[in-house]
Amino acid sequence: MDSKAFNPFRMAQEQFDKVADILNLDQGTRELLRNPMREYHFSIPVRMDDGTTKVFKGFRVQHNDARGPAKGGIRFHPHETIDTVKALSTWMTWKCSVVDIPLGGSKGGVICDPHNLSLREQEQICRGWVRQIAYNIGPLRDIPAPDVMTNGQHMLWMLDEYETIHGKKFPGFITGKPVGMGGSLGRTEATGYGVVFTIREALRELAINPAETTASVQGFGNVAQYAIELYTQMGGKVICVACWDQKEQKAFSFKKETGVNLEELRSATDRFGGIDLVKAQKLGYEILDGEAWISQEVDILIPAAMENQIRKDNVNSINTKVKIIAEGANGPTTPEADVVIQKNGIFMIPDFLANAGGVTCSYFEQVQCNMNYYWEKDEVLSKLDIKMTSAFLDVSRLAQTKNIYMRDAAYIIAINRVAQACKDRGWV
Amino acid sequence: MTDELHIKNILNNLNERKKELNCIYQISETLNKADQSLESVLKKVISLMPYGWQFSDNCSVQVIYEDIIFQSPQLKKNDHYQESPLIIDDKIVGNVKIFYDDDQLEFLEEEQRLLYTIAEKISIFLHRKQLKKVLAELEQASISQKQKPEWKTIIELLRQTDSDNYLRIARKLMNYLFWIGRTETECPADAEECSTKDIEPEGLLFTNKPIDRQDKETLIQQSRHIFQLAENNLDDEEILLNIQKWMQEDRLSFLTLTLEDMATSLSDIQNALERFFYLNLDRIELSNYTKKNLSVSLILRFFTDQLEFINIAKHFVDINYFRDLTRRMIFPANSHGKLGGKSAGIFLAKSITSSLFGNKLHGINICYPNTWCITSDTMHRFLYYNNLEEIIEQKYKDIEQIRSEYANIIQLFKNSHFPPEIIKEFNRAIEDFGDNPIIVRSSSLLEDRVGAVFSGKYKSLFLANQGSRLEKINALADAVAEVYASVFSPDPIEYRRERGLLDFHEEMAIIIQQVVGKKVGDYFLPAFAGVAFSHNEFRWSPRIKQDDGLIRIVPGLGTRAVDRLSDDYPILIAPGQPDLRVNVTPDEICRYSPHKIDVINLKKNTFETIEISELLKEHGDEYPMADRILSFYQNGDIRILNKFQMDFKNADPIVTFHGLNHTSKNYVSLIGDILTLLKRKIDAPVDIEFACDGDDFYLLQCRAQSSKVSEQVAVIPKDIPRSDILFNANRFIANGYLPEITHIVYVTPEGYSSLATLDEMKNVARAVAKINKLLPKRKFILMGPGRWGSRGDIKLGVSVTYSDINNTAVLIEIARKKGHFTSDLSFGTHFFQDLVESNILYLPLYPDEENIIFNEKFLLSAENILPQIAPEFAHLADTVRVIDIPAARRNQVLRILMNADLDEALAHFASRDDKSSAASNVIIPVEPVMENHWLWRLRMAEKIASLIKADLFAVQAMYIFGSVKNANAGPASDIDLLLHFTGNDQQRKELLNWLQGWSLCLSELNYLRTGYQTEGLLDIHLITDDDIARNSSFAAKIDAITDAAKPLKMGNHEESPQ
Repeated sequence: MDSKAFNPFRMAQEQFDKVADILNLDQGTRELLRNPMREYHFSIPVRMDDGTTKVFKGFRVQHNDARGPAKGGIRFHPHETIDTVKALSTWMTWKCSVVDIPLGGSKGGVICDPHNLSLREQEQICRGWVRQIAYNIGPLRDIPAPDVMTNGQHMLWMLDEYETIHGKKFPGFITGKPVGMGGSLGRTEATGYGVVFTIREALRELAINPAETTASVQGFGNVAQYAIELYTQMGGKVICVACWDQKEQKAFSFKKETGVNLEELRSATDRFGGIDLVKAQKLGYEILDGEAWISQEVDILIPAAMENQIRKDNVNSINTKVKIIAEGANGPTTPEADVVIQKNGIFMIPDFLANAGGVTCSYFEQVQCNMNYYWEKDEVLSKLDIKMTSAFLDVSRLAQTKNIYMRDAAYIIAINRVAQACKDRGWV
Repeated sequence: MTDELHIKNILNNLNERKKELNCIYQISETLNKADQSLESVLKKVISLMPYGWQFSDNCSVQVIYEDIIFQSPQLKKNDHYQESPLIIDDKIVGNVKIFYDDDQLEFLEEEQRLLYTIAEKISIFLHRKQLKKVLAELEQASISQKQKPEWKTIIELLRQTDSDNYLRIARKLMNYLFWIGRTETECPADAEECSTKDIEPEGLLFTNKPIDRQDKETLIQQSRHIFQLAENNLDDEEILLNIQKWMQEDRLSFLTLTLEDMATSLSDIQNALERFFYLNLDRIELSNYTKKNLSVSLILRFFTDQLEFINIAKHFVDINYFRDLTRRMIFPANSHGKLGGKSAGIFLAKSITSSLFGNKLHGINICYPNTWCITSDTMHRFLYYNNLEEIIEQKYKDIEQIRSEYANIIQLFKNSHFPPEIIKEFNRAIEDFGDNPIIVRSSSLLEDRVGAVFSGKYKSLFLANQGSRLEKINALADAVAEVYASVFSPDPIEYRRERGLLDFHEEMAIIIQQVVGKKVGDYFLPAFAGVAFSHNEFRWSPRIKQDDGLIRIVPGLGTRAVDRLSDDYPILIAPGQPDLRVNVTPDEICRYSPHKIDVINLKKNTFETIEISELLKEHGDEYPMADRILSFYQNGDIRILNKFQMDFKNADPIVTFHGLNHTSKNYVSLIGDILTLLKRKIDAPVDIEFACDGDDFYLLQCRAQSSKVSEQVAVIPKDIPRSDILFNANRFIANGYLPEITHIVYVTPEGYSSLATLDEMKNVARAVAKINKLLPKRKFILMGPGRWGSRGDIKLGVSVTYSDINNTAVLIEIARKKGHFTSDLSFGTHFFQDLVESNILYLPLYPDEENIIFNEKFLLSAENILPQIAPEFAHLADTVRVIDIPAARRNQVLRILMNADLDEALAHFASRDDKSSAASNVIIPVEPVMENHWLWRLRMAEKIASLIKADLFAVQAMYIFGSVKNANAGPASDIDLLLHFTGNDQQRKELLNWLQGWSLCLSELNYLRTGYQTEGLLDIHLITDDDIARNSSFAAKIDAITDAAKPLKMGNHEESPQ
């Protein structure tokens, strides 16, 4: 029974194998890229608040650093398994590669549940984690970042421990730090803007004037709000926004044919993107079912809420007018729906390309830290534009020339770049 | 009478008065000659006295003092005399008589008064003589016996002057000797007779003959032995101290008497207490039993005769506490009222904390708000004064009638008047409160009684207390009247009826508390307030123990912490584990933090709920303790800022209470310590209400910890046959009682872990979400492996959101052992606070541990109805099993009993009608099914169906489903109707309009029956041909295998009226 149990790492390997077949990679490259290059397992003893000592299990997996120092988050999760961490580190390698930033992929974690830990105990875990692996990570080797149940505070504790051990300042050791403590400006906007940079390029390719387009957005969180902001600045018109209502425990769509006014809608929104029904109605928004966003007669759909939103059961309600889907969220489209979208010839900007603005900004944070000079927000965002645009062009060019689906093209480019780097280094 | 005669009369009178005065002067002078002997002085007085009488020559005098008689030499005794007693220390020691030898001569009234005066003067003289003699003797004795101890002097003095007191002291001394065990001590040889045997009534208890009465002399004689014994066994200092104490206690007798006489009114008691303090008797060292006696008497008169309460309170109550209490008490003349449960609770808490903590702990002052009490009988005085007595019968009326009349009663009460004596007292109270806002709270005699949880049934009203004195008094009187009216509101009456408390003579006392807080802008509010419980019934981490307690805390007035709110969240802290918060990630912290705040608007003179963010934007800098209450959301992180970094205009503050347990003033520890102390002393878990104005900590209420209906403590039966048990559990159990579970949704751990793709796992979550909508609300349980609501790694548990499970009754997480590793459970953390606020229970199961029964065989073998109810998920049947319990267990249901005290839970099958045993499983009586909420709903649905103009509205068929059809509708349930509709938009509009009318009508009807207000009672679902063809949406309900919609018979269209 266990053999057919879900194993994320096996899934990552299967995904890779498929592309490797297309690329016709040699056996040595395959073997190298199928598995992480390095895998660290260690114990972190922590003196708990009640005086007892508990030993936590920590991991760091560096999947591949052929293209540059490895980069990946640290997860605190009670059911963390090495297979999960291995799979996630693999995906990090591809993600950094597709936007063409000079970083490899890694991931780490500690088996623990912060819900059962005081802040002091969490700090001890962070510091203990760094102590165990301080000589195998670093700004030029492997750069951690926040992930599930870790945040800027955890990063600062880790940074402090690392710098204490090495006796020097290394702000570039870790990313996701608060602004002013080595964090980068523009991080809040990065993902949402990144989505729109790719949309802009897609429109250019389809020879459509952005000012004449309309869009429907699912979600009203960080990504969605900044995507709407930039898209509107480009002249586009968002006519429908869907979001989750915490009070009613269901989603609603908010429609305004004349176009969503972001500032106005923000004034009726809590910090998680929940829109107040009454206020929205007063502002002249039509309130529709939560699914309504998908069936709007628009040019662009931006699912920027959560996974599995475009499914077999609703993919057919996508309006025939829709030309582009830009996946702002992770995995918003299920494989069955993806097949339909591909068949209908909708231009798909796949998630790990469309929402790569976040990881790109982390890269910028690291770059700024390493030179200990911090850019203004404009500079960060214009550099982001350049990175995202060229990454998009690479993928779309491949998709066009080889006549393949965008999602496949993105994977092919990502894996190919890593394989090439390994080859160039003479590893394989 | 001529003028001349008149003048003569006056002169005569004057002459007599002059004689009297002369007589008094001379006698006084004589009596003042202290150095002369008793005999010579009295003889002189006897010779002087006749000159004060009209017929001096016919007068003779006799003075009897103890056994000595002095008299005029010419005394002729007869029956014609005036007399006055000689009194020393309230005792008659003799008398003075004056005789006329001629019966014809009349005594004057003035002469009797003269005699009294003279007798009094003689008494004083005699007393002085007595003392002098004693002192001289003592002096003599002390010279001869070197130093005689001081106490002996006092005793000797007492014996000679006040023998009653002398005997009392002797008695107390004897008790004292017994008490310290000194009666066995050998007596010295020369005091053989001093053995206690002749004092102690040994064996008397067992004889049946009356005990011989002993005369006083014998008693005094015996007392001598006691003093002798004391002298031999105790040192002089000890005896002296005791004697002094006992003598002072004697001065208390007026208070004791007042309290013991149940006929005395509260104002008598108030006066006695005032006298007590005026005489500074509170300063003297009272013995423990005197204190206790006084305290118990006071508790009995002011609070309650419940022995449980008295037993605890008497150890801590200080008579001083009653001083404030009585000074701030409002009661009618001749009152015998009490102060009610809430007052008693605060009083007890105050007594306990002040006697054990003093008024400061962890550097924080523990305070109690200025409180006035209105006694319970004031309410009846109010009723009688306004001729409203017949309202008392209200409670025996039908609940519908009560409800419809209640609004009138409120107005009636508000338009009634308080007696002037009460208004006068209101005036005093208002003066005392000044411009501070106040809260008027009920403190009924039923409230907070053990076993009857009456919290929140009666009203509490906030008053801003602004404006002119008259306006304030009117507002107060209005509020008091409204609280009185709430005794006759339907909810408490229904509640009392259910618990057999209806006939209890419910009297409502009221407390008026000053609202704790500070002015922030135009608002008045405490920095924070909340409730705290000794027992934590919602443990969000396995590291939290039941004894770690629970604090629900909010900024502003505590109302939002007391009630469960559906749209907002208080902060939860376990004082025993203050660093383990429910919410950890920034997202969780923001989402589950309070967003609204209750305040008093001083300008508008009202109580308001406002957005915290709005308040802080305007007045953030004035908010007390902002740096310890607020954190700030910045770019995805939660930051703690100090007051120089806070920029309320632009920042995004979040209420976290991060600093309450950090700095020197540790409020969390303070609350924890108070809870622990109260629990230990009261010997039961308690809940308290508190508030903090930014500095001082105020305790507002204290009572035994109660639980809500679904959190009742269940008795775990031990005699359930194993075959009837589905599972048991013994770790991290909350309290709960669910008598009738009809469905189980079981996600099999093996099935789930063997799923090969993420999509399949997500499908399981979707299946659960679908089932959650289909099964009857709160009648099914969800059981699944690992962590419900997993997000990242969904193979660890089904990745549902709260809305996917919000109809379940219990969320069960199963931790199976894999090798020697048992997986961690989430403890519902992903939506813990949602579960708490909506009363969904959480239960972790560890089936592989010892002594645990887990009937997996049943779960795996019972018929799985998933393919029938949700065919689209049929392929998941190996993983998701939906079991219809009545079908699988011959009409039985599942009963789940959870007991946090024992840390045990049991789920067993039982027959549906086994109500008796169900009731006995619960310690607090369950709310019985008052009536069939479903039945009349069904009738109404049938009626609607029979009246609907099916042709006009193009309705093909009508169905009913949900709780009404399933006969488990509650008072707030709506009626789910399914209409097969084939018409156009216009028809749709008209149909919905027509139904809306019904809906509102039924809602009103339901309100009258139950008090639940809804916007409409009908939940209409229109389905089209298309829906039916695709079997989508609610069309699936028609012909569903389980819980199918039931068709309603529609009337003949043409004949239908309207």
